[in-house]
Amino acid sequence: MLRCGRFLSPVRFGLRPFLRRSHTDSGLSPVLLTRARLLAAEHDKLSDSLAESFDTKIAKRAGELASVTKVLKEWDNANESIVELKSLLEDAGTDAELRSLATEDLESSREALPTISDRLKKSLIPKHPFADLPCLLEIRPGAGGDEAGLFAYEMLRMYMTFCSRRGLRPTILKQDVEDGPSEDRLSEAVIEIEADGAYDLLRTESGVHRVQRVPATETKGRTHTSAVSVMVLPSFPESGSGLDNALNFEDPSSDYYIDPQEVRVEKMRAGGAGGQHVNKTESAIRLTHTPTGTVVSMQDERSQQANRRKAWQMLRAKLAEARQEAREQELVQLRRGVLGGVARMGRGDKIRTYNYGQSRCTDHRTGLTIHNLDDVLEGGDGLETVMESVRTWMADREVEAMVAEELAKEKK
Amino acid sequence: MPRIPVSVLVKAYRRNPLLPLLLKECRSLDSARNELRWLRERALRDSRLPGRLRGSWPGWRARLRSMCLWRSRGFPLQYILGDQPFGDLEILCRRGVLIPRPETESYTVEAARLIRQALAQEEPGSPGTRSLRVLDLCTGTGCIALLLHALLASHFKDMIVLGVDLSPIALNLAQKNLDHNVDKGLLSRRASTDIHFQRADVLGRSDSSIPAVEEVLPKYFSQSGALSEPSATRCDLLISNPPYISASEFRDGTTARSVRLFEPRLALVPPATGSTEDAQDRPEDIFYRRILTLSIKLQAKVTVLECGDMTQAGRVVEMYTAMTSSHSDHSSAEIWPSTERDLAANGFHPYDGSRCVIIKRWAR
Repeated sequence: MLRCGRFLSPVRFGLRPFLRRSHTDSGLSPVLLTRARLLAAEHDKLSDSLAESFDTKIAKRAGELASVTKVLKEWDNANESIVELKSLLEDAGTDAELRSLATEDLESSREALPTISDRLKKSLIPKHPFADLPCLLEIRPGAGGDEAGLFAYEMLRMYMTFCSRRGLRPTILKQDVEDGPSEDRLSEAVIEIEADGAYDLLRTESGVHRVQRVPATETKGRTHTSAVSVMVLPSFPESGSGLDNALNFEDPSSDYYIDPQEVRVEKMRAGGAGGQHVNKTESAIRLTHTPTGTVVSMQDERSQQANRRKAWQMLRAKLAEARQEAREQELVQLRRGVLGGVARMGRGDKIRTYNYGQSRCTDHRTGLTIHNLDDVLEGGDGLETVMESVRTWMADREVEAMVAEELAKEKK
Repeated sequence: MPRIPVSVLVKAYRRNPLLPLLLKECRSLDSARNELRWLRERALRDSRLPGRLRGSWPGWRARLRSMCLWRSRGFPLQYILGDQPFGDLEILCRRGVLIPRPETESYTVEAARLIRQALAQEEPGSPGTRSLRVLDLCTGTGCIALLLHALLASHFKDMIVLGVDLSPIALNLAQKNLDHNVDKGLLSRRASTDIHFQRADVLGRSDSSIPAVEEVLPKYFSQSGALSEPSATRCDLLISNPPYISASEFRDGTTARSVRLFEPRLALVPPATGSTEDAQDRPEDIFYRRILTLSIKLQAKVTVLECGDMTQAGRVVEMYTAMTSSHSDHSSAEIWPSTERDLAANGFHPYDGSRCVIIKRWAR
């Protein structure tokens, strides 16, 4: 268990007034319930058509909806039994023994209801398009000079051990160090986590991480603040054919398609004589996506082929994430009218602070503080706790947005 | 060679005391850092091998230090590590055999693209039923022959690749490379029967006991039943990276010290033959006339010849034009890469460095 204390800041409660207001007696807003019923109806219709003829696409959609249907049924059953028990209690003819039994049952049913409605809410959240994919995690020092580079290295270690502990086997795709006396000053690092679903697991980590501490180089004992940015990117398999239509990056109609004509490939080799006259060992590759100006370079492998593959993997990941980000931004614009100013965290926002002096780690989205910084930096349970809280926070934001959207639809 | 500034050496030393050693050969800090990482990875990997294979090194640090010392004397990285990636293949490298170059890799990939294109136009039938004959002259490690098989095998039902070399050390290594890549699963199983290596002399000198190329070809490339008729010997793709450095360029610093000292001269500088046929060309060009003659004789649909630079490639194109001016040969010779896009995509210098000559011949 955690040795640290944890507190929930008042801000956390302040963020959810909207949800509270919209709650009904049963703990679920009517708009969400309507949505759940619509989805369940769709599921039943799809199941019927599947019984007649099998189709992979329909089967997949039905599979996605199955959990909503199942939880909705549980919810209905619970509500039904509550109504029944209530009528039993209200009936004057019920004898005392039965009455006490019914009271007990009613209590337990009422207690179970919030959990069920929570699950129902979560099952309604549309799955992130990259949720099932492996991921790349990119770490770059931001403001703060040398100190940022040093902390970036510690973050690299933190995520490496975090992944190893969970049996995910991370590999370092790229590790560039800054000029200086030591190897532990990163200028950029990319870790690949090949497990399916790693994207969903780690996407809580995208954003700016801030460190406050007295650097080893500081002579006057002053605390410095510097920043490291982390980006979690989807990692596509080498050939797109195994993926869904929407994610198949080789299909020109896919959202994640990259036209090879728009990518400038450069093998970076020093000029001068080539061929038999010299024997150079450089094998660096640089890719530039001309429409967006996205540049990826890779030099870690001896094989140019391998560098090229990795560079393409990085470029696909970066462009896919950027396109997804743009789409989400569009949605936020649409919702803004309904929700007012939405607290949406982008990759440019400060999401977490690691404070050495107070030995604490605070996530600014959830307000959760862990008072065991070492455990967090070692990728231990502390980090897992923070990430789990962010996952819940993200789910809550999704539900809020969903309610807002449904309300907006109703108004029209 | 320009001196490396002391400040760079100091910076390198501060980072890792072994880096200045590598800097002597690498010239740039980035490249030295990469080499150090590759050497360290190899030293660490070897130190985990079971005792007998590990050698007599007391530890990986000592091994790494020794590797860096070798490198600082100009000893090629590929000879130290024992291999070099070539396409998706892993080509073993040993002293006495030329190390595969990245330019050669580009030419090979382009050759594979062109021959597929040429044959698809010629016989638009289903791709799996066609057959392909490939001749690789001066094969060395066998890298071109092996990579062509890796790139083309899935498109052709029958495929014969013949790699020819004069050096028995090279042929031995080429065969090892074939087995090594089949074992690693980098080449399909059929490569073992599709690829052959054969000792022969491309220059066809009468005074040697080694057979000339023309003599060994019918065995591999004759149409069935027509073994006796020499005109029936055909091949589809002829590719070669022959020795092309002149004796003066070998000495005057154009050729890097490391190459001059540690790679085989046989693979770099054409020998003086004293034959009258060769006298009309510069001594560094003598292989091309022989290979072009062979290309015409075999009616190769695509011929790809590596050259040292633009001027040499220009001479080869001229040589070919002169050779075919008398008969109506439906073919074209051009220098590749020459467009800005091809140059950049393959990492070539805009005007310096190696080029290849590509000859395409249409069936009439």
